[in-house]
Amino acid sequence: MREGGGRLARTELAKLSERVSAARREVEARGETFYPGPSRVHLASYPPKERWDDWVELDSRAWPERVEKRYMLVPTTCFNCESACGLLAYVDRETLAVRKFEGNPEHPGSRGRNCAKGPATLNQVTDPDRILYPLRRAGKRGEGKWVRVSWDVALDDIAARIRRAILEERPNEVMYHVGRPGEDGFTERVLAAWGVDGHNTHTNVCSSGGRTGYQLWMGLDRPSPDHAGARVILLVSSHLEAGHYFNPHAQRILEAKQRGARLIVVDTRLSNTATHADYWIAPHPGSEAAVLLAIAGHLIRTRRYDREFVRRWWNWQEYLAREHPGGPQTFEAFEQVLAQLYAAYTFEFAAAESGVDAAVLREIAEVVAGAGTRLATHTWRSASAGNLGGWQVPRALFLLNALLGAVATEGGTYPNAWNKFVPRPIYMPPHPPRWNELTWPPEYPLATNEMSFLLPHLLKDGRGRLEVYFTRVYNPVWTNPDGFSWIEVLTDEHLVGLHVALTPTWNETAFFADYVLPMGHASERHDLHSYEQYDGQWIAFRQPVLRVARERLGEQVADTRRVNPGEVWEENEFWIELSWRVDPEGRLGIRKYFESQRRPGEKLSVDEYYAYIFEHSVPGLPERAAAEGLTPLEYMRRYGAYELRRGIGPLHEEAVPPEELEDVRVDARGRVYTRSPAPSSPNIVPTGSPEPDAEGRRPVGVEVDGRVLRGFPTPSGRLEFYSATLAEWGWPEHALPGYIRSHVHRGALGPDQMVLISTFRLPVQVHTRSANAKWLDEIAHTNPLWIHPDDARRLGVGTGDLVRVETEIGYFVVRAWVTEGIRPGVLACSHHMGRWKVGEVGQRQMMATVALDRSEGRWAMRQRSGAGPYTSADPDTLRIWWTDVGVHQNLTFPVHPDPVSGQHCWHQAVRVRRAAPGDRYGDIAVDTQQAHSVYRAWLALTRPADRYSPDGTRRPYWLMRPLRPTKDAYRLPGRRTEPVGAPGG
Amino acid sequence: MGDAGRRGAADPPAELLRALAALAEPPGAAQARIGDVLGLPGTPDPAEYTNLFAFQLYPYASVYCGAEGMLGGEARDRVAGFWRALGRIPPPEPDHLSALLALYAALADQEAEEPDRARALLRRQSRKALLWEHLASWLFPYLDALERIASPFYRRWAALLREALAVAAGALGPPDGMPLHLRAAPGLPDPRAHGAAAFLHGLLAPVRSGIILVRADLARAAREMGLGLRIGERRFVLESLLAQDPGWTLAWLAREAGSWVVRHRAHEAATGPVAGFWAGRAEAASRLLGELASCAPAV
Repeated sequence: MREGGGRLARTELAKLSERVSAARREVEARGETFYPGPSRVHLASYPPKERWDDWVELDSRAWPERVEKRYMLVPTTCFNCESACGLLAYVDRETLAVRKFEGNPEHPGSRGRNCAKGPATLNQVTDPDRILYPLRRAGKRGEGKWVRVSWDVALDDIAARIRRAILEERPNEVMYHVGRPGEDGFTERVLAAWGVDGHNTHTNVCSSGGRTGYQLWMGLDRPSPDHAGARVILLVSSHLEAGHYFNPHAQRILEAKQRGARLIVVDTRLSNTATHADYWIAPHPGSEAAVLLAIAGHLIRTRRYDREFVRRWWNWQEYLAREHPGGPQTFEAFEQVLAQLYAAYTFEFAAAESGVDAAVLREIAEVVAGAGTRLATHTWRSASAGNLGGWQVPRALFLLNALLGAVATEGGTYPNAWNKFVPRPIYMPPHPPRWNELTWPPEYPLATNEMSFLLPHLLKDGRGRLEVYFTRVYNPVWTNPDGFSWIEVLTDEHLVGLHVALTPTWNETAFFADYVLPMGHASERHDLHSYEQYDGQWIAFRQPVLRVARERLGEQVADTRRVNPGEVWEENEFWIELSWRVDPEGRLGIRKYFESQRRPGEKLSVDEYYAYIFEHSVPGLPERAAAEGLTPLEYMRRYGAYELRRGIGPLHEEAVPPEELEDVRVDARGRVYTRSPAPSSPNIVPTGSPEPDAEGRRPVGVEVDGRVLRGFPTPSGRLEFYSATLAEWGWPEHALPGYIRSHVHRGALGPDQMVLISTFRLPVQVHTRSANAKWLDEIAHTNPLWIHPDDARRLGVGTGDLVRVETEIGYFVVRAWVTEGIRPGVLACSHHMGRWKVGEVGQRQMMATVALDRSEGRWAMRQRSGAGPYTSADPDTLRIWWTDVGVHQNLTFPVHPDPVSGQHCWHQAVRVRRAAPGDRYGDIAVDTQQAHSVYRAWLALTRPADRYSPDGTRRPYWLMRPLRPTKDAYRLPGRRTEPVGAPGG
Repeated sequence: MGDAGRRGAADPPAELLRALAALAEPPGAAQARIGDVLGLPGTPDPAEYTNLFAFQLYPYASVYCGAEGMLGGEARDRVAGFWRALGRIPPPEPDHLSALLALYAALADQEAEEPDRARALLRRQSRKALLWEHLASWLFPYLDALERIASPFYRRWAALLREALAVAAGALGPPDGMPLHLRAAPGLPDPRAHGAAAFLHGLLAPVRSGIILVRADLARAAREMGLGLRIGERRFVLESLLAQDPGWTLAWLAREAGSWVVRHRAHEAATGPVAGFWAGRAEAASRLLGELASCAPAV
């Protein structure tokens, strides 16, 4: 055959192709699509963006007639899990109602794809049981009687109480407790404007174990694995199906797999993720770090680590100087010590701890060793959130990256802040001047986040009270351990003066509120966010889509309540309005942070708020928008997302420019300090903030081989293999990546005890956030107890049998599901199910109706009825066929605060037996006095700041902290701050 | 998908194939713009597009590679299987020309972006398999047929696409074997053994007869033979011609098959055994038709 086409033809074709490429670049630069769509040419089916104003589809309900429906496509982002995947709302041009949600192809993270929860947003919007108007309780708290009130009544009452607390110098009595994240830092700034250290999160029942491990290594508390570019992906989680950033990560993991990448999954349970793995190992819960350290030990023993990376970027000099001051201070000496440190972590040791065969571990270690710098790793909740010392799991996992030099490399793992962009807002209120010990008690100086789940216990212990307590899209009664203790304090008006539940839908905590205020779902609110989902930086915009649709038709909508269902409000407008009512004349210095800059004296509008951000704080966006003849705000309203950069690369290797190097001092280990002020950055992504030197110079970089490089935001500027922070704050034995035996270690279990894993998600649900989405509820609505056939045989139970699971403080009764998908000796029960209501008010698709019985500290719950069909505006509610909505196991768990990270350690040592006569499905019994004893036992494990602080402060200042107060507030009462580990020391 | 200028590895460039793929879609502003960039004469006319792609020459591999000569069936399943083998979800019409060309372009992009040489080679193998199994196996005769009835705009499009495919075939090398579609296709049945219905069915199935008979061809046949043209689907038209004058019609068909032999042979330099297969089928058809014509009753 001839060399096809001949030289002349080939040249001509190449020229033609280049002309097409040039034309395409030009067209796409204008924001238009070059190829028509929905188009086979893109191998995807998304409406082309130039047709989003008037998109025509055939009405499926009119089939077989071909009836055209015209839509306006308005982007927003999903509000179910944290990933903030892009959605396109299909707004019917005729009725101006949202007809469906599909993926937004312009969103760089999710790239037009969604999991089941995204499209199910429509169910939440049209949920017949949702809260549409502000409600105030009519009887006693928790009695279930409500009256509708106006927003004005609610706002005035709440604002007056907040104002009084501030004026009476009781700012710590105002607390905001957040579940599902909204906009990075928005409410923190509201609280800062009020001068209140009242921010509380759910993080310590979620990810603070993971965060602690990452932060101690790199000064940043989240990983950003570049899955798509990886050669080997190692997950300590069920990440592909349900983990954090599930959809954005899953699609990239599968891309890597298609390219031939190997997937290793460490998960005691056969998750959907595990079924996709090349290697799945199911270790005994709590032994994960031992497994990872054995792999690390193998890399060290066989010298298959990246010596140059370790030499240049680990703080091995600091380690030698502090721990081996008498020995040679050379890298070669460190390598010898390193080998000794991990010599005991053999495959045989790991096999004995984990129950996984040593030969399998060796094989996996070889796969990891072959990854080179393309090893993407991730853990988040899972083992980190399950175990005492779980924070060492991410520390051990990241050790593998640090050994291989797979840090901020293609296919490696990045520090999250490098793949995240939080634009500077219009106002940055100052740090609050006081420290709140209800959220940051002195026993937990190293906790990564607020000790949120201890709030009832701290209140019961008389450590404070709350005048106004907001729960915002958060359900601690149901989500947190020891929910009955939450009910006890929420029903005590001396401890909680006013409880305001901000929520789109009913939840178990809102039942115990004074006000229930309806907030918006994904298509009914504003938020701006950015998440680390690949090696790039993007922002995405959640917005009230009906407001945008009406504005496209020429209407002006200043108040989102006008277009949302009922009187559902969006939060930004709510907080601005509330802040004005707290400080109507501006005398408290609060109002100025909520005033218009364009029209002084008037309220800041959300349009001005976001217009400022998009015009001033997002590099490249104004130019990109201008190329399409749009303002930056119009651009974001139109497309919903903007990618600032792709291919960030290793920022730690960037040279610090000379203009930042004024009157420089370099300490003995290479940390570089400068007098030059930090250049203003539009990106205010949270990072560690290492302290200045004794003369006030700020840390600017680190000297590596004679060059000043940017490094990491740790005290040493390097990756901290050795954590001087841990050593100085009372935990020297854990200063290196290591293995802490869990509270559910086999040696700690009684002969008749098993481990219960309760942290796993169901792929289509996300905590209580996704509930009453009918499509999702039909798929997943119950939570049987996973039990291995060997254990089932021993206990004499079969699938469907009722079993009683006894914890330290009570028991729950559930049905068994006998499966080989769980390790023998281990039980599993998803925490996603077991929703309940006491009376008629509440969700009817996923909540059982229960009877609660309380006698002093003894509580009992019994299900009176399950779900069932009911009449509503949605005919589908008559088709509900399921009755079983699961069992609320979390009620029977006591708190297990890890003494270092503060993470609640979820795994439970339990006894399981056949249900007793009289036991009924869903029965719960709990002794909250016993729960309080367990709390005290774990509290005794701590090393409090007032005894262990090396410098008279409450907490290492360099560690990240939401809503950081002033530095003065860090000082322990009655203690002077003293410099510790001073630079150059 | 990036531009070929930056990568520049595929031959022909992926972007060109993507642009040519877009032109097999119903014309709109985007097609007019692409046509202009490619220097095609005039603008695409929606009415002509409908005539070409919806009435005369359906742009689906299954029509030309399937034993039934119709949309769908086993031939389409084979194409869908190819998508799945690549780890992709087959689109609703996996064998549509645009989809296949876009897939080819996507594979070329992936190959160019693949840093690992071994994996890039695998991508190249996939691309080569796609070319020979599902593009070159039918597109050369298809484009020949289209050129004969199209306006200058689509004639030039067909010529460019043929040239691009020829370049691709040259760059990727000859097929490792005869494409499965072609290997699996039965020959044209002899009506004397299998009946007239099977014969007509086979005659209208390109992969069996080696010839592509479009509506325009049958209209031309009627015109050239001075026979009446009855309006209907192709088989009905053909039957009516045969009924009017079987000898003349069979002789005309034999000549038509002969002219397809020449067309197929012209592609042997580019597609080697594939062109040989098509030419062989057309030769056999011509021979059989000639025999049948010689013994057909005079009218």
